[in-house]
Amino acid sequence: MTQEHSPTQGDTAGTGIDTTVPHSARIWNYWLGGKDNYAVDREAGDQYLEIFPGIKVVARSSRGFLTRAVRYLAGEAGIRQFLDIGTGLPTADNTHEVAQRVAPDSKIVYVDNDPLVLAHARALLTSLPAGVCEYLDADIRNPEAILDVAAGLLDFTRPVALMLMGIMGHFTDEEAYPIVDRLVAGLPSGGYFALYDGANTNDAFNQAQEGYNNSGAVPYHLRSPEQFTRFFRGLEMVEPGVVPVPLWRPDPDAEPVEIYSYCGVGRKP
Amino acid sequence: MSSDDESPAEISGPTVPRMILGNRLRRFREGAAISPDRAGWEIRASRSKISRMENGRVGFKERDVTDLLDLYGITDSETRQSLTSLARQANAPGWWTRYGDIMTDWFEEYLGLETAASVIRTFELQFVNGLFQTEAYARAVTLLGNGSAPAEDIDRRVSLRLKRQDLLGGPNPPQVWTVVDEGALRRPVGGRAVMRSQLEQLIEVAALRHVTIQVVPFSRGGHAAAGGSFTVLRFSDPDVPDVVYIEQLTSALYLDKREDVDHYLEVMNHLSTEALPPAQTARFLAEIIKEM
Repeated sequence: MTQEHSPTQGDTAGTGIDTTVPHSARIWNYWLGGKDNYAVDREAGDQYLEIFPGIKVVARSSRGFLTRAVRYLAGEAGIRQFLDIGTGLPTADNTHEVAQRVAPDSKIVYVDNDPLVLAHARALLTSLPAGVCEYLDADIRNPEAILDVAAGLLDFTRPVALMLMGIMGHFTDEEAYPIVDRLVAGLPSGGYFALYDGANTNDAFNQAQEGYNNSGAVPYHLRSPEQFTRFFRGLEMVEPGVVPVPLWRPDPDAEPVEIYSYCGVGRKP
Repeated sequence: MSSDDESPAEISGPTVPRMILGNRLRRFREGAAISPDRAGWEIRASRSKISRMENGRVGFKERDVTDLLDLYGITDSETRQSLTSLARQANAPGWWTRYGDIMTDWFEEYLGLETAASVIRTFELQFVNGLFQTEAYARAVTLLGNGSAPAEDIDRRVSLRLKRQDLLGGPNPPQVWTVVDEGALRRPVGGRAVMRSQLEQLIEVAALRHVTIQVVPFSRGGHAAAGGSFTVLRFSDPDVPDVVYIEQLTSALYLDKREDVDHYLEVMNHLSTEALPPAQTARFLAEIIKEM
C-alpha cells in the first residue's frame, strides 16, 4: 500500500532526518509553540522572527483556517473523505481530529514524503474507531502516483476534499500550477479543494523569507493574491473567495488581525 | 481496575502542577531580576531548594509561594490565586504513594511523570515495556532484579507494575509510542510459554488507538545498538518541557535541559524512522510466536 523507506539523501544514518539544516515542518512546529524542533530550527526560526515577528501569528492563524475549513467541509459541505497532502508534524487540531469531531466516520489520507513527519503521523494521528486514517509516503511532484494510491484508499465515486495547507509555497508557479491542476482534475465532481500559503504583501515578511531561503532550508515562495486566485481555476469559490486567512468564515468572537497569508476553498462543479 | 474512591486529583497526581508552578515562579523571579540566593533567603531556604522548586521536583508550602510572589512584586489577585491553587494541587498524593515501602524515590518520581504525560515515547532494548507486561512476564523480570526479596515483596512489586497499566484503560490515556528492539521480543524471559503469551498480549495492545508499537529488526538499526533503553515524556502544557528518563541499576537519570532533550529526541526520531512502520508489527510478532 505505502512505499516504506524509500532511499533518502543528505543524512548519514539513512533515516532521512538531517538535524544540521533547518527543516520547514520543525520550524513551523517551533513557531506554533510545539516541542518537536531542534536547535538549528529554533535558530532559523528566531532569525526569521527578528525580521518578521508576525510569523507566529501567521502560523497560528493559518492553522485556524485549516480548522475552520475542515469544519466547514465535514459540516455544511457534508464531505467524509479528505486527501491532506503535506501533513506536517502533529499539532493541536489536526485534520482528522477536526473532521471526526464533526463526523466520526470521516476518512483521511495523510500524504507526506518526509520520514519524520510520516513516523509521527502513523503513531500520533490515529483515527477514531468509526473512521479511518491512512498514511501515504509520496512526493507531491508526482500527483499521478498520489491519485493512483488514493483511489485505492478513498471512494472516488463520492466527493473528496483535497487539502494543500502551506505546501505549494515550496514550488515555483511553473511547478505548482500543473501539480494542482492535475490533482484537481483527479477529484470527483462535487469535491473540494482548500489551500493556504504565505503572501508577498508585506515587506518584512518578504525580507524574512528571502533570508530563510538562503539558509539552506528548502525555499518557500510568497505569492501575490492574483497568483493565489489562479490555483482555483475552473472551481466555484466558496464564499468569501480568496482572502487573507483571518477573513475566511471567521469565528464570531475572532478579533480582526492583519495577516499576510491567503486562503480559499473551491468546489469542483 | 481503578476504584471509585479515587478523586481526579489523585489520579493525575501532583507532578504536573509542580512543574507548571515551578516554571511560573522561575519566570517571575527572572522577570524581577532576583537571584536564587535572595529568593531562598526570603523563604528561609537554600538556593538549591529554590532550584528544586523551580524544576518542579518538590511539593510547595502555600506560604512560601505567597512570600515569593510578594518578593517578585506579583500583585494581581487572579495570578496569585491561580498559583496558590496550583500549590495545593502540587501537594496532593499520587496513587503510587501507597507503594512507598517497595519503591525508591526515583521510581516514585517516574510514576508521577508517567501519569501526567500526554505522550510517552520509549525505546526498549532488553524488555517489553512495563505498561504492556503480562503478570507472568512482570514476575519473571521482577525476580531477575530482586531474586532474594521475600515473596510478599515480589507480589507487591508485580502488583504495582500491573496497577500502572490502569493508565492505558483510563478515561484520558496518554499516547504510548514504543520502539522495541527485536532482541527484547526474542529473549524468552520467564520461559517460552510466558514469552509467547506476552507477545500475544503485545499484539492486542498494539491494536489500541493510543498505543503504537514499532519493531527494530536485527537487519536494521545502528541507532538501536548505540545506546540503552530510555523514555521521553511529553506534557500537554506548552510551558512544561519534555523529560528524558533513563533507568540504571540502582538509580535513574532525569534530563530536562533543552540540549539533552534535543539529543535524545533526535535518537528517538532516528529509531522511529528506522523501525518497521506500526502496521507491520502484528505480523512480525506473529512470526516470532510461531518460531518460539
